[in-house]
Amino acid sequence: MYGVQGKLDKQLRVDFTLDELICVCISRQIEDGEVVAQGIATPLVAAGYLLAKCTHAPDLMFASAIGQGICCDWAPLGLSRVEGLWLDRAIRVFGFGRVVTEVLPRNHLKEFFRPGQVDASGNFNNIAIGGDYLRPRLRLPGSGGIPDVTPTTNLAYLYVPRHSRAVFVPKLDYCSGIGHSSQRSGGSGPRYIVSNLGQFDFADGHVRLTSLHPGVEVERVVAKTGFGVQIASGLHETPPPNREQVRLLRQEIDPLGVRRLELLSGRARQELLYEILEVEKKVPE
Amino acid sequence: MIDKRVTLSDAASLVSVGNTLALGGMTLYRRPLTFTRTLLRENFAARDLTLLCFTAGIESDMLVGDHRVRSVRSCYFGLEVFGLAPMFTQAASDGTIEIIEETEASIAFGIRAALANVGFMPSRAWIGTDLPLLRPDVQTIKDPYSDDKFIAFPAINCDVAVIHALQADRTGNALIGNNPGIDPELALLADTTIITTEELVDKLDNADIPGPVVQAVTLAPKGALPTSCHPLYPLDGNAILEYTKRCKSGKFEEYLQEVLAP
Repeated sequence: MYGVQGKLDKQLRVDFTLDELICVCISRQIEDGEVVAQGIATPLVAAGYLLAKCTHAPDLMFASAIGQGICCDWAPLGLSRVEGLWLDRAIRVFGFGRVVTEVLPRNHLKEFFRPGQVDASGNFNNIAIGGDYLRPRLRLPGSGGIPDVTPTTNLAYLYVPRHSRAVFVPKLDYCSGIGHSSQRSGGSGPRYIVSNLGQFDFADGHVRLTSLHPGVEVERVVAKTGFGVQIASGLHETPPPNREQVRLLRQEIDPLGVRRLELLSGRARQELLYEILEVEKKVPE
Repeated sequence: MIDKRVTLSDAASLVSVGNTLALGGMTLYRRPLTFTRTLLRENFAARDLTLLCFTAGIESDMLVGDHRVRSVRSCYFGLEVFGLAPMFTQAASDGTIEIIEETEASIAFGIRAALANVGFMPSRAWIGTDLPLLRPDVQTIKDPYSDDKFIAFPAINCDVAVIHALQADRTGNALIGNNPGIDPELALLADTTIITTEELVDKLDNADIPGPVVQAVTLAPKGALPTSCHPLYPLDGNAILEYTKRCKSGKFEEYLQEVLAP
């Protein structure tokens, strides 16, 4: 019997990669009929949203920083033709001036943010790393609209593709995104974080590990987190993607593999960029 | 007959020392690169600039690399999925550039205040974050009709705005397509608005930017490359990667000489 079961497990097992698991985790946080916002250079989030659209959330709508409009339809991810994904499919383009002053202040949208640093309360920093503001160790590209929406929204979600003590810190250098803090004027702090190691929620306003990705042990999460992380009593393994989710990601949503960029840095990232551009050239428009 | 057509050189010469210069488009989309290169090549008076970009990309990074920029107002300065803006990132670490911390709201409300001809616009943004500490000039006010507290985003003014268009006519009417960013607002805001355009046509019957707010129009085919000009051409990812590669190996000046060669 044991042998038969083993064989069955092998047949049912789906090969997937970490980037695909993160996309699936993001997709599971999406509900049908809502409008989700996508920031700049966040292909893992785009792929996760599109996966939700292709599975359990057919009436999902997208609000993208590129084009500043609302879209129902979608196209596969790209590098050099990313505008085609949003612009030609928008049912309405507002322009950024109106989006920021007329749409976002009252219409809170679910959005996944990628923090440069995040603390135990889910406050986060996308301004700069290093205590000397005038000469930072690393200036980050900027906080976009994070300081604008996080003081009042309750729909902020976080993702961290490269979980480390440099990201999960005991104390932020600067707070640009407000979490579970008494300083809030409305809404609530982030509800959820997914990293390349596991999934987290917030218990009493403090980061709590709820699931470990396959092959990851608690000790590794603890060692890679710069503050004491709570462990949920129901800690479990993150459910893996199913065959259809993997197929959709690889064949329909992101055949170029743009989502993989967010897990890489340095030379490996650079090489993948060149590789994707090369393949993209051969894709008919 | 009103004719606002000028040469690229004349357009670039409209920027003066100490100006606030707004460069239209978004990150890597429809940025006025031909204009930027012309300015770098020919207008040496254009220095000590304050850059005003909703999001700043490669065009702004080149100006920073050539030491033309004193301060930057932008809510994002980078090359999207292609990485950090190398010269800006270096200048920020060296402390050789002033960063006026901005967000989407502070720019959009600041411009709206200037357009409304008032000193500020109130908003619920920023409250509880460190942004008010990093911008001590930005005040908090009490709503005169309730006890609510608001951030009072100060008006932002602009000397010169440069916007790359798909089509324009001689009177300055311009079509910019479906990725407007804040270009329509910048055109209204700036004392001098310059349109660079892929194509000059006889007469446009409708426009995203109306001619009366435009002071100069100049032809610049492929004028956004290596950024995109949707739907006419996509961005040139290889050229952007080449730029970052050269900058990271300390060869910005060499790169600049090459792209500025006539």
